[in-house]
Amino acid sequence: MTNRERTYNLLHFKPVDRMPAVHFGYWPELLTEWADQGKIPRELAAGNHDGSEKERILDKIIGWDLNYYRVVGAASTLFPAFEAKVIEELPDGTKRVQNGFGVIERVKPGITSIPSEDDYLLKDREAFEKEYKPRMQFKPERVNLEFFRHFNEKRDPDLPYGLFLGSVLGDIRNICTVKGMSYLIYDEDEDLFADIVDTYAEMQYQCAKAILETGAKFDFAHFWEDICFKNGPLISPDKFEELCAKHYKKRTDLCHQYGIDIVSLDCDGVIEKLVPTWVENGVNTMFPIEVGVWGDQFEPARRRFGDKVLGIGGMDKTALRKDKAAVDAEIERLTRLASLGGFIPCPDHRLMPGSKFELVQYYAEEIKKIRI
Amino acid sequence: MSILNDISENLQRGKAKVVKELIQQALDAGEKPETILSEGLLDGMNIIGAKFKEGTVYVPEVLVAARAMNQGAAMLKPYLEEAGVKSIGRACLGTVQGDLHDIGKNLVKMMLEGKGIEVIDLGTDVAPETFIQTAIEQDCQLICLSALLTTTMGVMGEVVKKAEEAGIRDKVKIMIGGAPVDEAFCRQIGADVYTPDAASAADAAKALLTA
Repeated sequence: MTNRERTYNLLHFKPVDRMPAVHFGYWPELLTEWADQGKIPRELAAGNHDGSEKERILDKIIGWDLNYYRVVGAASTLFPAFEAKVIEELPDGTKRVQNGFGVIERVKPGITSIPSEDDYLLKDREAFEKEYKPRMQFKPERVNLEFFRHFNEKRDPDLPYGLFLGSVLGDIRNICTVKGMSYLIYDEDEDLFADIVDTYAEMQYQCAKAILETGAKFDFAHFWEDICFKNGPLISPDKFEELCAKHYKKRTDLCHQYGIDIVSLDCDGVIEKLVPTWVENGVNTMFPIEVGVWGDQFEPARRRFGDKVLGIGGMDKTALRKDKAAVDAEIERLTRLASLGGFIPCPDHRLMPGSKFELVQYYAEEIKKIRI
Repeated sequence: MSILNDISENLQRGKAKVVKELIQQALDAGEKPETILSEGLLDGMNIIGAKFKEGTVYVPEVLVAARAMNQGAAMLKPYLEEAGVKSIGRACLGTVQGDLHDIGKNLVKMMLEGKGIEVIDLGTDVAPETFIQTAIEQDCQLICLSALLTTTMGVMGEVVKKAEEAGIRDKVKIMIGGAPVDEAFCRQIGADVYTPDAASAADAAKALLTA
């Protein structure tokens, strides 16, 4: 079987010859670490990203079958983006930088984690109408039609490919910041916030539609959100439903029209309280189900929604920093989960620094031994 | 008095402007500033904190309530100083070195202030020495440490060690929180308290300061 067939069958409760070894990429620091240790060629450490040629070479060295995050789409964020520029440089080397969303971040030298948000521009209707709304419109140049017209003949026949559907709230959270989003919704101008969500969603819908109209075929469609954290959602589930449900429905209905019945969604954190909105509006596959750092679980969603909800992920990646016994325990747990059907094990986020190269190889080898 | 209830309720709804108007009305009516603080602002934050802990309100509601609390508290500050009202204790708080995440840290700050605790916010990427130096110089009874990354949580252990080396370990309580840490990690590094969320952190801090 090809990995495309394995993925399709597993997500449709059909038999497979074996479980594919699926991953979700790496933190860049880990690849540098492995190169320093002589585990991988140095040239594979830089420029290695989801779906890249370098990643495929590394997949073979490690024993992975595929990275699930092989998605393609339009330029579906702000277009054009704000100019990225340094606003201010502080004595300790910290830079205040405006990013492509118009958010001012503090970037410190030597720290590669997410920068700290300092200020944001989208605070009122004037900023929306003048600076943001024009950047949230659909334009033909957002979509590389030529690429998608030849997509079917150029794709690797062994691998599943996804259509990237953008996000309903994730990008807007990045544009407004969590604080700004909260102030708008609950105190300052809820109608404006709804307008922002609606405007952005319509553009993303038009992008997906333009791609699908080229005849390009996809095995799944995929949203990105990242709207939850350790204690659950960054927005109340009721407000999320009110603002976002119709937009998931519209995009998933479009996918269904084009024969795409797997719609996955990438959201870190504990997602349980938002799953109902997603499942009831056509998003049926949860990814990456962060069991390790955040303590999320797949089983509650399966208990509640039965076979209507599928999962990809759920492997505690922190085990790959420990030892063989920890990996074996994960394999045992994942074997039980996989036996539910409609579930493909995958590390629950990018593999992090400190992950042991031989343990990752061991995991990739052992996970293939799961039989459904 | 109903105006205090109104302050509490509007704070819970994040209506900062209304809260400030109501505080002015209460002051004009002769209400004591410490009563407005405790039965209006802190009462509202306590209710929001409890609801956050039980999972019936979410981060945005806490953020807007905290903004109303901060603006109201700033308005009351000169009146409270004049009346000689003091906080129940002082904490220094920050995200540990190497980590720039601050949403969790800021939530804890707001919740601590909502309990009447004075907070010195050291920001993000804070070196262990800075926590210790601040605790000594500002006479803090609490050091509160936040981390989001598995790669930075180890710095929390360094803060505990530095506190021991500086001879202040018996004078300060060290609290930790953040996605990758838990009770076992707290015990492992010798910190005093781990809490799973901002509201629990505020409850624990108040309990430590009033014990």
